[in-house]
Amino acid sequence: MATFHKPASGTEWATLVLAVVVVLLGLPLLIMGAELVALGGSWYYVLFGAAIIAGGVLMLLGRTLGAFVYLAAWLVTWPWAFWEAGLDGWALLPRLFGPTLVAIAVALTIPVLQRIERSTVTRGGVA
Amino acid sequence: MKNRALLLTATVIGGLSLVYSTGSGALAQVPEHDAPPGPGAGSDGAGGHPPSYFAGPSPSAPQAPGVNAANIPDGPPAEPSEATEAVAQQGSAPAHDDWPAYGRDNDATRSSPLDQITPENVGKLQRAFVYHTGSKPGPGQANKWAAETTPIKVGDGLYTCSALDDIIKLDPATGKEVWRHDAGVKYASIPYTAACKGVVYYTSSTVPEGEPCHNRILESTLDMRLIEVDAADGKLCEGFGYHGQVNLMKGMGESVPGFVSMTSPPPVVNGAIITNQEVLDGQRRWAPSGVIRGYDAETGRFLWAWDVNRPDEHGEPKEGEHYSRGTPNSWATMTGDNEQGLVYVPTGNSAADYYSAMRTDKENAVSSSIVAIDVKTGSPRWVFQTAHKDVWDYDIGSQPTMIDFPGPNGAVPALIVPTKRGQTFVLDRRDGKPILPVEERPAPTNTDVPGDPRSPTQPWSVAMPRLGFPDLKESDMWGMSPIDQLYCRLKYRRAKYDGEFTAPQIDKPWIEYPGYNGGSDWGSMAYDAKSGILIANWNNTPMYDQLVTRPVADKLGLMPIDDPHFDPKGGGAEGNGAMADTPYGIVVTPFWDQYTSMMCNKPPYGAITAIDMKTQKVLWQHPFGSARANGPWGLPTYLPLTIGTPNNGGPVITAGGVVFVGATTDNLIHAFDAKTGKELWSDVLPGGGQATPMTYEYKGKQYVAIMAGGHHFMQTPVSDALVVYALPDAH
Repeated sequence: MATFHKPASGTEWATLVLAVVVVLLGLPLLIMGAELVALGGSWYYVLFGAAIIAGGVLMLLGRTLGAFVYLAAWLVTWPWAFWEAGLDGWALLPRLFGPTLVAIAVALTIPVLQRIERSTVTRGGVA
Repeated sequence: MKNRALLLTATVIGGLSLVYSTGSGALAQVPEHDAPPGPGAGSDGAGGHPPSYFAGPSPSAPQAPGVNAANIPDGPPAEPSEATEAVAQQGSAPAHDDWPAYGRDNDATRSSPLDQITPENVGKLQRAFVYHTGSKPGPGQANKWAAETTPIKVGDGLYTCSALDDIIKLDPATGKEVWRHDAGVKYASIPYTAACKGVVYYTSSTVPEGEPCHNRILESTLDMRLIEVDAADGKLCEGFGYHGQVNLMKGMGESVPGFVSMTSPPPVVNGAIITNQEVLDGQRRWAPSGVIRGYDAETGRFLWAWDVNRPDEHGEPKEGEHYSRGTPNSWATMTGDNEQGLVYVPTGNSAADYYSAMRTDKENAVSSSIVAIDVKTGSPRWVFQTAHKDVWDYDIGSQPTMIDFPGPNGAVPALIVPTKRGQTFVLDRRDGKPILPVEERPAPTNTDVPGDPRSPTQPWSVAMPRLGFPDLKESDMWGMSPIDQLYCRLKYRRAKYDGEFTAPQIDKPWIEYPGYNGGSDWGSMAYDAKSGILIANWNNTPMYDQLVTRPVADKLGLMPIDDPHFDPKGGGAEGNGAMADTPYGIVVTPFWDQYTSMMCNKPPYGAITAIDMKTQKVLWQHPFGSARANGPWGLPTYLPLTIGTPNNGGPVITAGGVVFVGATTDNLIHAFDAKTGKELWSDVLPGGGQATPMTYEYKGKQYVAIMAGGHHFMQTPVSDALVVYALPDAH
């Protein structure tokens, strides 16, 4: 059974907090995004929300895969943003600015998550 | 393990409450209102008050104390008559140095022949002086201020008015007060806005030069008076009306202070002062009349009335009668045409703006139109309608501009009619026929409002560049992040939206786009005849509206201003309204994210456009207004980025090739190159620059003046400062 990783250092705490933030950002996207789809709107938000919640939960479990799930969702966001908003800088702002800030932070957690993974494997922990 | 799960749960709850927490202030720069009740909530049948609770005062009830502010005796009802023979007025042929009328001249061109200030030297402008009118909200008074004033300049005087209508003469070089006439307007008489757009310079035809009141300053007041004072010393002209004043509430029937008011300078056409009045929006179907009247400019004597539902009666109502209630009211500045003997009246729609089932055919024929009225008789000569059966508050806010339109057989006397829709109509002043083609295009008719069908078509001025953008799409929704953007996409999808002219709806909100702030609002346009350049600054601010049944309106506390249960905080004009005497109230908000106070549509929210009238092509157009004083939660960002803000206040074009305009919510006055649109100069004003600037020359020096009065609706800082600029003296 998967268990949440117990942070053992400052960087691990920071990684955990970021993972929680990613989940929190994903929840309104998932919930409101589902309503948007039900009303005939864009599928992007519910999918992005679901993806980053999955990524955040995996990060909480100490899995490097979680960071890569977020980054993959972020990468897919770019072509979608240009497809939907064209080259209008103001229109690109909400689509790309925030998710990119989070992506930078998530990328920085990769070494930490890798360290956690190595340590849990040596302790024989993770399922 | 358990504590981790707890942490996750707690953060989820915390995060959701963060997402749904509230903010205030505005990038939207529009006031906060209750949000529309939303899908399914517009017609909650339960609760409310018994119908007797709303038995408002009878239209024939006596006027409340303070309505006849100067206690002027009524006298017997007057029969129609003609004006005293007029002499030529300053506004017909302005002196080179002067700005003798609100729109610079009778044509309302906002165009000056002054050329001392040029694109090369405009960057050196300095403040010559700042004059304080003294009119600001007092302790305990709500901020209803927005002076909106454009001073006039004739000879040795700069004449202006305070937001509460005190008339002031200043020295044009120093700003020193020469005289001041205290108009005595009370706070209770402020309608939606304390504004005085300007005063009128009138030269008497009967009083010889050199005698008192040969030249006069005429003003219409918030409390519905006409005042004439001597331009030389500011003393009331005894020969005008009752000791210098006329009571315009005569014959209006029941009213309370603040319900009916005048904020625009009345034109004088062939000796007749033409009056219109703002009737507070959204109060009741049987609000006071929108009657248009003529008064003799010499004597203040009543000349005629044009009363929509009493079209054949041009006299004052008999004892116990009153002008027809709830008719379309006109609050914009009118344009007078001495040559055609016409006044061009920009009308609004009938009272209860968002519900049209109780309007007469006569009202439907003249609402949201230009009505050209013969100033001798008070009868309309022609009517041109800009929105049929308007339920979107698309009343005309702009003063129309008269131009000579170059035609194949010589110049045609033309009228440029800006609208809130961003459609600009160009009409022949002689008969009201469009000079540039107007198409009737199909309009949405889908509505759940019983018995209130919409017009199947609406007029489009297809040859003039549109001051606006195509219909909104879900992907046009905006925000700071994907989350608030998503919230706006949801709001978009939850509402009814069939494009422009989406019909009102009860069971869910509807999107009104363009919104009621325009397109073009009261700022109007500037036109330089020599270059043929037309300058227009405009808004791009959709609204989110919903009709609510009477019980829901009760719960929201929507009451008309003349109801004993009226609560000023419940809902005033422009926003939510009781629309008493109809089955529905109205909830109107900006189409925004009410939690961040940012508009839901992407920028720009305002733009400025130059049109070459010879070809009707756009010369230049760009977003107008920076983000420096605007941001999420109403916080200033201090970013010099030109995002394009909502803007109110018109432009001025000069022979020097410079366009001056304030208007934006960044509190700047801007100077643009008229040919290229390049921003040449700006200065931070002490308050919002929501007024049209003006320019004049005095003793060989060109000045540029702007009233930085701020605007409560635009949420810009209020001030009482008239700021005047000039180039530094050569050394």
